[in-house]
Amino acid sequence: MASVSELYDVGWEEMRDKLRKWREDNCRNSEQIVDVGEELISDHGSKLGDDVWIIYEQVMIAALDCSRDDLAITCLQELKKQFPDSHRVKRLSGMRLEALERYDEANKYYEAILQDDPTNTAARKRKISILKAQGKTTEAVRELNEYLEQFVGDQEAWHELSELYINEHDYGKAAFCLEELMMTNPHNHLYCEQYAEVKYTQGGLENLELSRKYFAQALRLNNRNMRALFGLYMSASHIAASPKVGAKVKKDNIKYAGWAANQINRAYKLAGRGTKENKCSMKAVEEMLDSMQITMS
Amino acid sequence: MGEIELSCRAYVKMYLHACLFPRCGVNGLLLSSASPPGGAVCVTDCVPLLHSHLSLAPITQLALTQVDVWCSQTQQRIVGYYQANACASDSSPTPCALKIADKISEQFNNAVLLMIDGGKMSPDDRVPPIVMYERKDSRWILKDKHTIMLRQWEETRAIANQMLDSGDHTLLVDFDSHLDDITKDWTNQKLNNKILELASPANGNV
Repeated sequence: MASVSELYDVGWEEMRDKLRKWREDNCRNSEQIVDVGEELISDHGSKLGDDVWIIYEQVMIAALDCSRDDLAITCLQELKKQFPDSHRVKRLSGMRLEALERYDEANKYYEAILQDDPTNTAARKRKISILKAQGKTTEAVRELNEYLEQFVGDQEAWHELSELYINEHDYGKAAFCLEELMMTNPHNHLYCEQYAEVKYTQGGLENLELSRKYFAQALRLNNRNMRALFGLYMSASHIAASPKVGAKVKKDNIKYAGWAANQINRAYKLAGRGTKENKCSMKAVEEMLDSMQITMS
Repeated sequence: MGEIELSCRAYVKMYLHACLFPRCGVNGLLLSSASPPGGAVCVTDCVPLLHSHLSLAPITQLALTQVDVWCSQTQQRIVGYYQANACASDSSPTPCALKIADKISEQFNNAVLLMIDGGKMSPDDRVPPIVMYERKDSRWILKDKHTIMLRQWEETRAIANQMLDSGDHTLLVDFDSHLDDITKDWTNQKLNNKILELASPANGNV
């Protein structure tokens, strides 16, 4: 089988830089990381200098994701040799046990870390992940809430909590988490759009109007967000079709929906140029927009 | 209740969808282009929908509407719903699965709800890792295994494994991916052609 460097015609420096980029962007493309990382370590390990340790960590976690316990153990052993008393390495040992579904043993590792260092956030988050993996969502939610009382600025935790609430259909609490995230990340169009989706799901006129506003806000922050565009179209259409709204609100929302429909059509026409592939989806969108226009007027 | 037959194309795409997003819950719609007599259902195709926020309404509604439109353009109809949970050990239908399946059964009496059993997925499954439910007296109950048919299961399984090994599952486009890049085709014509090629008699399959 051809090596990564042969297949893509890259040298070891490019491979190292790619791994760094994936680390910085927090990508979870584990199969690629394993392919590139394994080759880099075995063929060019000596050239990596001190970078080698963080690469061992990155590759080890990716290996767990791909059920490559052999590779994970190799990386872990190197790290243990170099950093014998490290909590960070202990956490990796725990993660390996989690991957093997030996949750009780993993928990012992994390509790030992927390005994030594009660502020170790990584160990606490791993314990919550174990609860999630075991399907104990209620406990995971409770622990995560407790964690956030102490570490109120942890964005990743707020987002994880919002996901847990969404899965549990607790949309009110999910919305609260997303509100926290929007406050601290006002330019993030994804949080606006997710918040709008939650509000839409909650339903009712007031929530629909809020959802429309936040879809619009998401579009202001990123005018290529198709979900926000469709969301704006659908929320405005539903408001316009509601018997509870007055004439002015109806008129305004028909206008918003019309604008969104135009934008959607434009986007699809642009996307459709030159590719035969998505003709089906294009036609489907056109017809859908046509039929919804008819029901609104 | 009647028999249900799952085509190679529908099974393979569903399977590849679950394999493409192993850490997420995924769902999709089951389609039929045939109407055999006697209440039997023949699932001839599927449309993979989401791999995130399965229980949020707007994108699900959008996808249902678009697939509906596409179906009426192509003489197909939505006959069921499939889902694979993120937690592989839990293959029970979630409330949102039941809701969507309910909606589908409003339009089609013999609608099916199919859960992929992540814990049972392996390259040498003797039986397909799926659990099916049908609607009876407004509840979803387990369907009798003997009424579920997958013609040429071994060939289907071989095709699914082959496509997984050669990385073809990365070609699969679900509705979520389509919204990230609308030049991608959620009807998956490319993948359909590949499956057809692999299933054709020229490849030694019947």
